[in-house]
Amino acid sequence: MDAIVTTSLTRRFGEFTAVEDVNLSVAPGQFYGFLGPNGAGKSTTIKMLTGLLAPTEGSMQILGLDVATHLVDVKRQIGVVPEGMALFGRLTGSEFLNFAGRMYGLDRDTAAQRTAELLDFMELSAQPKTLVTDYSHGMQKKLAMAAAVIHGPQVLFLDEPFEGVDAVASGTLKAMLQRMIARGVTIFLTSHVLEIVERLCSHVGIINKGRLVAQGSLDELRSGVGAAEGKMSLEELFLQTVGGPRNALQELSWLG
Amino acid sequence: MAGLNTADGQLRAVALLRARLLINSLRSVRHRLNLVSRAIGVILVLAAGIGGGFALAVLTWEVTKSGRLEWLALVFWAIFLFWQLFPIMASAFNENLDLSGLLRFPLTYSTYFLVRLIYGALDIATALGLCWLLGIFTGIFAAAPRLSLWAAPSISLFALFNILLSRAVFVWIEHWLSHRRSREIIGIIFFLVVIGFQLVGPLLGRYGERGSRLQLHVPAALLFLQQRLPPGLTSAALTNASLKRYSDTAISLLLVGIFGAAAFLLLHLQLRDQYRGQNPSEGKKRAEPVASTAVSRGWSLPGIRGPLAALYEKEIRYFSRSGPLLFTLIMPLVVVLVVWGGRKGFLTHQAGFALPIGAAYCLLLLTNIVYNSFGADGGGIQFFLTSPVSFRKIAGAKNLAHLTILVVDVSILWLGIRVVYQPPGIEAIALTFAWFLFALPLNLAIGNLLSLYSPKRIDYATFGRQRPAESTILLSLLVQMGSIAIGAVAIFISRAYSNLWIATLIMLVLAVPALAGYFILLWQLDRIVMRRREVLATELCKT
Repeated sequence: MDAIVTTSLTRRFGEFTAVEDVNLSVAPGQFYGFLGPNGAGKSTTIKMLTGLLAPTEGSMQILGLDVATHLVDVKRQIGVVPEGMALFGRLTGSEFLNFAGRMYGLDRDTAAQRTAELLDFMELSAQPKTLVTDYSHGMQKKLAMAAAVIHGPQVLFLDEPFEGVDAVASGTLKAMLQRMIARGVTIFLTSHVLEIVERLCSHVGIINKGRLVAQGSLDELRSGVGAAEGKMSLEELFLQTVGGPRNALQELSWLG
Repeated sequence: MAGLNTADGQLRAVALLRARLLINSLRSVRHRLNLVSRAIGVILVLAAGIGGGFALAVLTWEVTKSGRLEWLALVFWAIFLFWQLFPIMASAFNENLDLSGLLRFPLTYSTYFLVRLIYGALDIATALGLCWLLGIFTGIFAAAPRLSLWAAPSISLFALFNILLSRAVFVWIEHWLSHRRSREIIGIIFFLVVIGFQLVGPLLGRYGERGSRLQLHVPAALLFLQQRLPPGLTSAALTNASLKRYSDTAISLLLVGIFGAAAFLLLHLQLRDQYRGQNPSEGKKRAEPVASTAVSRGWSLPGIRGPLAALYEKEIRYFSRSGPLLFTLIMPLVVVLVVWGGRKGFLTHQAGFALPIGAAYCLLLLTNIVYNSFGADGGGIQFFLTSPVSFRKIAGAKNLAHLTILVVDVSILWLGIRVVYQPPGIEAIALTFAWFLFALPLNLAIGNLLSLYSPKRIDYATFGRQRPAESTILLSLLVQMGSIAIGAVAIFISRAYSNLWIATLIMLVLAVPALAGYFILLWQLDRIVMRRREVLATELCKT
């Protein structure tokens, strides 16, 4: 049984089709990178998978549960870091994590214990009185990640988790994600940073103009059609799949 | 560097930017409705400007004809105070375009200064101030055409001083408000000023009679000071010119000019700092790291467990950290003061109604919170939407927090009335309780609905971002007024029979459908949220 399955997943906004007929399949324990250019439909897909957005057509199963009919059961088993990070700015980091744990059904003692551990792991425990709204962007990302994992989810959805995060914070986040993968958690991640995806993910899906244009293990895709000799880099694969850059310099000749 | 915009082009580009922002804002129905309310506002401003200008023209004509031009000092002071204070007060209700964002473009300092001065001065206070000053000039011109030769430079200098000073004050406030804490402090000060205005009536009611017997003494020092400040100097320039003391007139004008130059210098120093990038940043004063402390286990509440307790704790914490929200806890004390002030006035014969009236007012104060209950959560709505907790519980916990605040409010009120006035009778307490049983579920039910159908992100730490949507304000006021009117009708009926218990009974009967409606709606919330989740996430995650 796959951890994430979508069948003919489609989402339209009026006349515009953001996601069209997407059939995803992510096995348990996979680190799945979902790639695509800006506006390709990555965030729309992740929003549908996490219940933030209703699909126009198609179905989704997470851990064998239909998202449309068992949304609450699905939510209990997933962790989410959405685009906007979903934080409550006027709580302290510790209060927010404690709150998040209890919202996912942890008892007070367990929530407090995990909060302390996560704050230490994420190096957020030095400013216990600081409100989340006063955190730096990187600190907020780490806190959002901590809140997404406090209940020990089976599947983790991360929308651009490394965007705006410095190298130190990024290292902490990567270490945590790798630890989760080692424990069998499925991670579904969208990112613009191809190097990160290449280093972390075992499988990737590439979406372009709302359609899933490639899916498989990194090795399979890199040694697929178009690889002249040996394996392509993920960047080459990506550019080949979604179309390379136009000759912009020729058009902008006035740049000198 | 051929083709780069000149200062003139940059000024035009900023004008076009403002126009484009307005046009683009009309894409949504809500903003189109806001434009209508703005148009009404413009009509009112025009009426105030033209009407005020006409009235001032008549007044000035009269004082000029009667040779009492020194009285114009009062008018100049009123205009000066309005010109300087109104933009600050108005900024509490409106979001302003942050022109300092233009610094990313290659603007010269002089262009930046002009942009800040010209576009910043396009506000209501300047428009009205100029209309009123024009009215004064017209009055002088009509009464004594020769005097207008002196009036023109005097009034122009006064106008210029006001424009420069108001910009300097505004830039300083903008600079100060870039810190969250400063914004919260000014928010509290603002609300205390509002409360202060509400106390004027009761205090006059209590001391008015005594005050009227007192002679009003304006200290000589205050008079001396006013004569040496721009409003007094402008008035003195006109008075001296009318008496043909031209050297004194010139000195007064020179002094107004010096004040104008000082305001210009102040504005220049602030804008120059901004231009050089010396803006304060939130990050500057980040707290020093301290040793980690033990994590709290969260609240344990009798009868409330699990997510409901966590949600309740979160709501109360949010509430306690929102300065302007604390306003609702201060207001019962204000009501007590009103009652105290009205003991010898309007409440002399209506003693029994002090508690119900005050309690109704307390419910009115919760409007902003109840009718846009997800507004302060902002991006946190995504957490709610992805969490396994039903919105029935989330809204229920929020309503429980609202109820707690109301209970605290009414307890303060009851205690206050008991101490400063007389213990409320059992009839009044029963009536208040019965009215709440009817009005509270009604308000909470409609509040929950509007929170989902007309959500608006609010930021209690930012001026101009504390109001719910206009449609929410209108509907909530209608519901509030309706529930108060029903209570009033019940009291009217009971008084006809000289028995207040009849009103209590009516309210208890009405409470049954109100409570039923509340719970039915609460059970429907998750279904509504499923339909509204996109709008909720979009509206509340807006930055």
